[in-house]
Amino acid sequence: MSSLMKFIGVDKIQKAIQIFQENGGLKASLIKMLRNDELKSGTLVGVDKYGNRYYENNAYFVGRNRWIEYADHYWLDYNASQIPAEWYGWMHYKTDLIPTKDPNRPHHRWMLDHTENMTGTSGQYTPYSTNRPKIEAWIPPKK
Amino acid sequence: MLRTPLHRALLPCVREALSVSRASASTAPEKIEVFIDDKRVLVEPGTTVLQAAALVGVEIPRFCYHERLAVAGNCRMCLVEVEKSPKPVAACAMPVMKGWRVKTNSEMTKKAREGVMEFLLVNHPLDCPICDQGGECDLQDQSMAFGSDRSRFTDIDHSGKRAVEDKDIGPLVKTIMTRCIHCTRCIRFASEVAGIDDLGTTGRGNDMQVGTYVEKMFLSELSGNIIDLCPVGALTSKPYSFTARPWETRKTESVDVHDAIGSNIVVSTRTGEVLRILPRVNEEVNEEWLSDKSRFAYDGLRRQRLISPMLKVGGQLAPVDWEDALVSCARALVEAGPHSAAIVGGLADAESLIALKDLFNRLGSEQLFTEEQFPVDGAATDLRSSYILNNKITGVEEADLILLVGTNPRFEAPLLNARIRKSYVHNELDIALIGPQLNLTYDYTHVGEGPDVLKQLVSESHPFARKLKAAKKPMIILGAQQLKRPDGAAILASVQQISQKLGKNKDGWKVLNVLQQTASQVAALDLGYKTNARSILENGSNPPKVLFLLGADEGVIQRSDLPASTYVIYQGHHGDVGASMADAVLPGATYTEKQGTYVNTEGRAQQTLVAVTPPGMAREDWKIIRALSEVSGYKLDFDTLAEVRLRLEQVAPNLVKYDEVEEANFFKEASELNKDASAKLGNESFDVKLKNLEDFYMTNSISRASETMAKCVQAVMKQKQSKYYEAQSA
Amino acid sequence: MLSHLRRTISSKFLTNIRALRTTPAVTSDNLFVHRDSAEDNLDVKFKFTDENLKRVDAILACYPEGHKRGAMIPILDLAQRQHGWLPISAMHEVANILKLPKMRVYEVATFYTMFIRKPAGKYRIGVCGTTPCWLCGSDDIMNVIRKKLNIEIGETTADKKFSFYEVECLGACANAPMIQINDDYYEDLTAADMEEIIDKLQKDEKPAPGPRSGRFAAEPKDALTSLTEPPPGPGFGCRQDL
Repeated sequence: MSSLMKFIGVDKIQKAIQIFQENGGLKASLIKMLRNDELKSGTLVGVDKYGNRYYENNAYFVGRNRWIEYADHYWLDYNASQIPAEWYGWMHYKTDLIPTKDPNRPHHRWMLDHTENMTGTSGQYTPYSTNRPKIEAWIPPKK
Repeated sequence: MLRTPLHRALLPCVREALSVSRASASTAPEKIEVFIDDKRVLVEPGTTVLQAAALVGVEIPRFCYHERLAVAGNCRMCLVEVEKSPKPVAACAMPVMKGWRVKTNSEMTKKAREGVMEFLLVNHPLDCPICDQGGECDLQDQSMAFGSDRSRFTDIDHSGKRAVEDKDIGPLVKTIMTRCIHCTRCIRFASEVAGIDDLGTTGRGNDMQVGTYVEKMFLSELSGNIIDLCPVGALTSKPYSFTARPWETRKTESVDVHDAIGSNIVVSTRTGEVLRILPRVNEEVNEEWLSDKSRFAYDGLRRQRLISPMLKVGGQLAPVDWEDALVSCARALVEAGPHSAAIVGGLADAESLIALKDLFNRLGSEQLFTEEQFPVDGAATDLRSSYILNNKITGVEEADLILLVGTNPRFEAPLLNARIRKSYVHNELDIALIGPQLNLTYDYTHVGEGPDVLKQLVSESHPFARKLKAAKKPMIILGAQQLKRPDGAAILASVQQISQKLGKNKDGWKVLNVLQQTASQVAALDLGYKTNARSILENGSNPPKVLFLLGADEGVIQRSDLPASTYVIYQGHHGDVGASMADAVLPGATYTEKQGTYVNTEGRAQQTLVAVTPPGMAREDWKIIRALSEVSGYKLDFDTLAEVRLRLEQVAPNLVKYDEVEEANFFKEASELNKDASAKLGNESFDVKLKNLEDFYMTNSISRASETMAKCVQAVMKQKQSKYYEAQSA
Repeated sequence: MLSHLRRTISSKFLTNIRALRTTPAVTSDNLFVHRDSAEDNLDVKFKFTDENLKRVDAILACYPEGHKRGAMIPILDLAQRQHGWLPISAMHEVANILKLPKMRVYEVATFYTMFIRKPAGKYRIGVCGTTPCWLCGSDDIMNVIRKKLNIEIGETTADKKFSFYEVECLGACANAPMIQINDDYYEDLTAADMEEIIDKLQKDEKPAPGPRSGRFAAEPKDALTSLTEPPPGPGFGCRQDL
């Protein structure tokens, strides 16, 4: 019976339904697919202070078993530089301990907040010359 | 301190060099035979060993000796051996005797030089790497050539080197007095050439220092020259400090345009920037001096520049492309046709002057004016004799009496004034002045304040007329600014009449001289520009529809004088008065950025060379006018500089005879033609525009843009607050 | 081993001296630029007294027209005598009298050690420190002054009685060491002489000027060293046939 159902693929449908449910219903799942191009189910291991959610599901093979869902307000403008430094290590398998569970993480007052890569935005760093211009042009007086 | 017999006695040879013509007139004294390094040379009695050596091409090292200053003989670097003399002699101060055999390369000479050099270096800091003189330092060069190859100076642990506190002598000259080797060249320059006895030595022996003793700045219109004179890095240029080494810069020989003297200059540039300006020797113009404005106003060349054509968009000038600017200007010019007028300023070159004149003539307009005004009655500018310095600048050295009429040569032409002072010191020249009381750095007779004196001189009823008549070679220098007055024609006519009377039986000695104030004026008048720019406003019903300003920044015509419909085109290099009132701005080139012809006040044509390229979209001036002519459909016939100069030659051949003075004639005719005007002399006293040092620094669009010049003005103001300021000496 | 240690230390020490030295030693007690002070500024006016003005005229009369600047030193001296020392306004006054640029007067006034450009005491002790006097013991003389008056070179005692200067050669080298106090020379000095001179001056008595060794002026110290025999007659040293 079960093999028949397996043959027909009912378990896959069940699985799909389960994933849809885990992701908060049909509408939420469709939105997630739109944003992430895929839909995965996993355990929510943590949320960082910017609202990014980190998931793990070891049923996937290594390399795909940890993932992030960027905070909703990013919508489609997300990129990997939005992952703060403390989660970076976990995401890249440098450590298996998430930041809140790791006692060796440094905490100093002088540590700056994470900033994403601003390249391409209005906040980007633009190098400028510190030399004085060789010629200072005349600016017509404003009337 | 000068003008004393003692001083004369010390300077026989300098005087001889000055008055070559006089020496040849009197019976030539027998020449003395001497041998320099076994080379025979015949010299005049009184020649020093150093000069005799120079005649056979042997250069004796020196620090304190300078050809144009009195002999001091205190550096001892010029010690040479003279056969049969037990001690070495100082070549700069010792006149040669008959049959002397001077050995400039003997063991004794070498040892003497080495010793002197060692003593100089004992108290000279070893800071060549941070010294601005490095690379052009006499001490460096001579210690390489004549010094010892090793030092015996080990005293540094014991008492250290001598150190002297630096002096604040103004915004132009930076002092690092520890480097001073006490050659006293700056002191002698200040006292002999600049005529300001503010520098001196205080203390004695090891404590001697050069300075002003009291807290006082050395402010003179010629102060920059002490930088060139200083053989070491004690006096260096403040604006140029830590900028470049001499071997890094490209040097371009050029001509200065800040006054009408046309001083010869060298423009040092690197990476498209003018780094400094130095004088170039020209005995007939500036000798080897340069006025502070010419030397230091170069930072004005990179400020307030016009780097893009501009058109008025919605009442506000905005940068546009050349194409748009030329089309707009051409349209306005074609529409206006004969109702267009042009005014040229004081910095325009002859090439752009001729291009502009040809263009306007083709448009049918004859209304081309110079910004400087000149009377139009009588002969006006038709005869060249009435607007140039006929005796030439070197004539000052031959003259025995100079009458200055309504001019302040000290600030209008500092190098002419330096010549007058030189002649006053060395040649018994007497100077008289009609005009306001001025400090000219030499004594003069103040004959009067106004034109009434001229009237009396014409009728010979003034006591000074007798003195003028008695003079063998009198010169009258008339300031061009007096000709702007309503009675300018009368003043010119009176001076012409006086000169005409004085010039009789003086075989070719001209008396009349006009001192112009701007570099372009003589060329413009030679090319036939008119001089009464205000007249375009006078035919009230028909004001010009287009007014073309070629570097005219003195505000002869204000925007408020013109109807709103007049289209004003400004072509020039600086955003100043002219650009502010313009509807269209065409960016031109400054004198360092173009090859241009300038004629100085004595009628000497000289040319500037391109030292740097014009910035941004700016172009050479004649090319802009040439382009404008093509766009407006009145194409001018020249495409290259050579062709422009060919055209110049057709109009005024003297403009392309470079470095020659075209002398004027028809003095009598000019005087006759102007005779009628002489009756209309006014009563108002003469006034000169540049009275004090602070007036001197900012006189044209370049110097007005210069920060250094602004600092100079501030320094003068500060000096005037000082307790040690003396009105009569500054 | 000890010597090695000493060498190491001294070499370290010496290199440090060299690295630390930034200010050269002062070579003079005098300043050769003018600094306004309470006693010496342009507001302190200087005018010759009527009596001295007559003297100025007399001095000027000694010099021919065109060479009046030769009178600069005597007139500066007169000004110093009147004022006790030479303030800047006195130099300006002299420049005005001689119609010279002020700088030319500054030059002369700073050159000569006899012109004192800061307030001075009643007795101005100038000790010659030039070579002959120095070799004959001017240092001892200076030490006596330092000890007795408790002042250094260039200073004045608190009671404004003594000033102490080191001066350049005063032209009495034959009687070295020597000092000058106001207008008098005291020559052939020993430390004891110096003490006596100061003691007398303290009591405002005038010590005897001149050489202290008992000789007259600059005659030889012990006996004649030359011209000891009677002068030879005419023909001395000539050829026989003349």
